[in-house]
Amino acid sequence: MTDTPTGRPVNNGILKSPLDFGSGLFLIGIALLGFVGGFGLPFGQLSGIGSGLMPKSVAVLVGAFGLLLVAQGLFSQGDVLEAWSIRGPVFVLGGVLVFAFTIRSLGLVVAGPLAVMVSSLADRDTRLVELPIFAVILTLACGLLFKELLNLPIPFDPAGLIPDPVFRAYLGAKGGVSQLFMSVKSMIVR
Amino acid sequence: MGALADLFGNLSLGMSVALSLKNVGLCFLGCLIGTLVGVLPGVGPIATITMLLPITFGLDPIGALIMLAGIYYGAQYGGSTTAILVNIPGEATSVVTTLDGHQMAKQGRAGVALGIAAIGSFFAGCVATIIIAALAAPLTAMALLFGPADYFSLMVLGLMFAVVLARGSVAKAMAVILVGILLSTVGTDLESGEERLTFGWSEIADGLDVAVLAMGMFGFAEILRNLETTQARDVVHAAIGNLLPNRKDFRESAAPIVRGTLLGSLLGLLPGNGAVLGPFASYTLEKKLAKDPSRFGRGAIEGVAGPESANNAGAQTAFIPLLTLGIPPNAVMALMVGAMTIHGIVPGPQIMTKQPQLFWGMIASMWIGNLMLLIINLPLIGLWVRLLKVPYRLLFPAIVLLCCIGIYSINNSPVEVLMTAGFGLFGYALVKFGLEPAPLLLGFVLGRLMEEKLRQALVISRGTFMTFIDRPLSAGLLLLSLVLIVIAILPSIRKGREQAFQDAD
Repeated sequence: MTDTPTGRPVNNGILKSPLDFGSGLFLIGIALLGFVGGFGLPFGQLSGIGSGLMPKSVAVLVGAFGLLLVAQGLFSQGDVLEAWSIRGPVFVLGGVLVFAFTIRSLGLVVAGPLAVMVSSLADRDTRLVELPIFAVILTLACGLLFKELLNLPIPFDPAGLIPDPVFRAYLGAKGGVSQLFMSVKSMIVR
Repeated sequence: MGALADLFGNLSLGMSVALSLKNVGLCFLGCLIGTLVGVLPGVGPIATITMLLPITFGLDPIGALIMLAGIYYGAQYGGSTTAILVNIPGEATSVVTTLDGHQMAKQGRAGVALGIAAIGSFFAGCVATIIIAALAAPLTAMALLFGPADYFSLMVLGLMFAVVLARGSVAKAMAVILVGILLSTVGTDLESGEERLTFGWSEIADGLDVAVLAMGMFGFAEILRNLETTQARDVVHAAIGNLLPNRKDFRESAAPIVRGTLLGSLLGLLPGNGAVLGPFASYTLEKKLAKDPSRFGRGAIEGVAGPESANNAGAQTAFIPLLTLGIPPNAVMALMVGAMTIHGIVPGPQIMTKQPQLFWGMIASMWIGNLMLLIINLPLIGLWVRLLKVPYRLLFPAIVLLCCIGIYSINNSPVEVLMTAGFGLFGYALVKFGLEPAPLLLGFVLGRLMEEKLRQALVISRGTFMTFIDRPLSAGLLLLSLVLIVIAILPSIRKGREQAFQDAD
């Protein structure tokens, strides 16, 4: 099983193909996790197979392919591992985590801009003035779309952070728009 | 004759459902929003459908399905638009379109390329709709003859197809599918009530959600990859030009459209992502048939018309295994299973018999959806071009926010948002290790079904594996799987396969 792409940098160390070797280890890790997680589950008999048969046998197979790839990484030429970027995953997924931790308590009004701004940091091109404005506009647009138009039960401002006059002005405007919207909606839906 | 009358009877029943003002409106909205999101570079159909899933929650099942199908076609078509205008394929099936489509765009013929893609897709959609309608009844009847053992073997065959059609090494593709199956066992075992692989974490006792998996691996991981390749987006600066192809264009593309449609429809029927082959096969065929093959890669209209028709035909006939057998043939359809389950619909042969309105309504709406795409997309091309010029630094945070809101809304669960981030990292790792995420998603959805059918088959046979070989249907399917795997491992054919994928790059 030799995959030797031409023109790629070839590693001449102990590992002939770090990519295959790494992916093999990765798979073995998953297999171990699966096997440990299903360790106590009964195999059952063939006429009534238990809950452990599928997870354990599949985990063993995953591990076997992992070993095969490790062997392939040791003995046959192949690709090098691509470098992992740190900045991207940290900020993009960091933004998602911030969203998850703030959406219930503070609502979309906080979680939205935070998620947008934190994840933006993953890109070097980010501009400091443009970003907060964009984050707020985007959040308001999402609020209108998901909360008002689609009625999804997403918390928007559970902590009451929006000042009262702003909120009342919004309700007034909404009353006007919703009448217009309802008449259009009644034409489309049902 | 009776069958033909049935066909038209069924289609007119479907039309009566799909043509209600509400459903036409939903189909329109689905196509429009699907295209809007699908046009964004780096957002493929899987991420689009997951992101937009919550939009359908307030609807009745028929309306929701029609809208979802619309989103799916829209996302597919949006991917082709991006391929032509920016040279970034939204997903594997529009890779081929970038070759000649983008060249045409550079020559100031973007409008014609988009126009012929839309017209070819519409023709393909019409034919595919009729094929689906014609095959639905016989295939459903056949599905009712399937025992659990046959189902199991059919899924094995589907997964083997997925292995053969995946890029890279066979060992990696198989391993990835197995990881998907392993993930499918996470959660409470339905038969014994035991918790499996949950490590005592109650949040995943109900199992992992397919949308969480899909959004992490296709939404977030894709963003992470895009951030690394800081390729300047090559949005065409030349004028879009005339949208309507002229007479010469039509003459050149008529035959490729017909051939592409047939190829695509046929390949889309295969279990295990045959649809992805359609555009490649069509491109190769057109290049072989052309009088002057050197024109290909330099803006030959046949190189857009054929593959785009094949693409759309395959995208539609891929519904057939899902709707008749309940077996999703590829990752997008695997996600559709999840979406249908949310609306309380279990895909499979019983849909057609028990909910004919839903079944035929959806099929009829496929045709309407294709018409919509033709009508709404051509005038809106200017809008798509402007959307494509939005810099990525603004685009990706917006996608992140939409993904977060989408995942949160499915179960109102912040924990699922966290898990999605985890699967984002997992998907990123997969790609870094040269493992493909799409077969994993397919394995994940088929894994549950396979375990269920395996159990049933073994209970019926009182614990002997011979049942898989004794039943002729099952034996045949397993034999075919074996042949496929041998073919995939044989070195000569493997080389050819690599070549085919390399040509496409």
